[in-house]
Amino acid sequence: MSLSDAHVGRTYPATRPYLVSREKIAEFARALGDDNPAYAGDRPQAPPTFAAVLAAQAWDALFSDPELDMKLAQTIHGDQRFAWRRPLRAGDEVVARLTIDKVRSRGASAFVTVSVALSTSAGESLVTATSTLLHTWPEVTA
Amino acid sequence: MSAHVVEVGTELPPLVLHYTREDLVRYAGASGDFNPIHWSDRAARALGMPSVIAHGMLTMGKALRIVTDWVGDPARVEGYFVRFTKPVPVPDDDAGVDVHVTARVTALEDGLATIAIDALLGETRVLGSAQAQVRCG
Repeated sequence: MSLSDAHVGRTYPATRPYLVSREKIAEFARALGDDNPAYAGDRPQAPPTFAAVLAAQAWDALFSDPELDMKLAQTIHGDQRFAWRRPLRAGDEVVARLTIDKVRSRGASAFVTVSVALSTSAGESLVTATSTLLHTWPEVTA
Repeated sequence: MSAHVVEVGTELPPLVLHYTREDLVRYAGASGDFNPIHWSDRAARALGMPSVIAHGMLTMGKALRIVTDWVGDPARVEGYFVRFTKPVPVPDDDAGVDVHVTARVTALEDGLATIAIDALLGETRVLGSAQAQVRCG
C-alpha cells in the first residue's frame, strides 16, 4: 500500500464549478422523502446533506492519485461531519477542495480522514464536509 | 420554533424512516452514488452483507429530518456528525424496512442547541454518536 502519513496535508486542486439547480434540489429532497417547503419555490435551499454529493465528487482526487493506490470499491465510509456557514441554494456555483487531514494505518488497512471545503467560485465559504474512510488493500501473497 | 420550549432534556417528536428498494434506487440516482452494494444482492453478499443495504448518507440525510421538522428552517442547522455503525439491509419486497429515530437536546449554549440523535433498526443502533448543532436563538 502507498497511502501513508507522509500524505497528511496534501490538498488537491478545486473541482470544476457545480451549478446548484432547483431541479436537482427537488430531486434530492424527494429522494430523502422530505417535503420541507424550504427545498421548493423560486430560490430553494438544498437539504443540508446535499453537500455530501459535491464532497464525494472531490473524493475522486484520492482515487485518481496514483501515489495513494486507493479504490472506491475498497473504501468504507466510517463517519461523516458537516459544519455549515450557510445552506447551498439554487444558483450557487460551488467548487470543492479536498485535503488529507489524517492517516492511521493498521495492517493492510488505513483510516484516512479527508476534509472537503465547499465554497462558491467567488470564494464565499459554505460548508466543510469531513469524512473518515476505511480503505483496505488486497493482501499480497508472496 | 419560537413556540417551542427548548432546554436540556427536551425530546423532539420521534420519526420513522421507511426504506424500500425503490428508495435506494432513487437515492442512488439523486446522489450519484452507484456503489452496487446498494442495488445488487450479489455485490452486497460478496462483501458479507445479508442483502442490499441502504446508503449511509441516505440514513444520515433522512434522520436529520427529526431536527429540521422541529426547527422549521433547515438553514438553522450548523453542524451534524454521525458514525456509520451498522448497515440497514433493505429487503426486496413491498413492505421494506423501518428505522426509528429519536432525539433530545443535550446542551444549549448561546442559542446553539446540541441534539443527540438515536436511530434504531429493531434493537440495533445504526448511527453512532449522532448529533446536530442547531441555532435556536
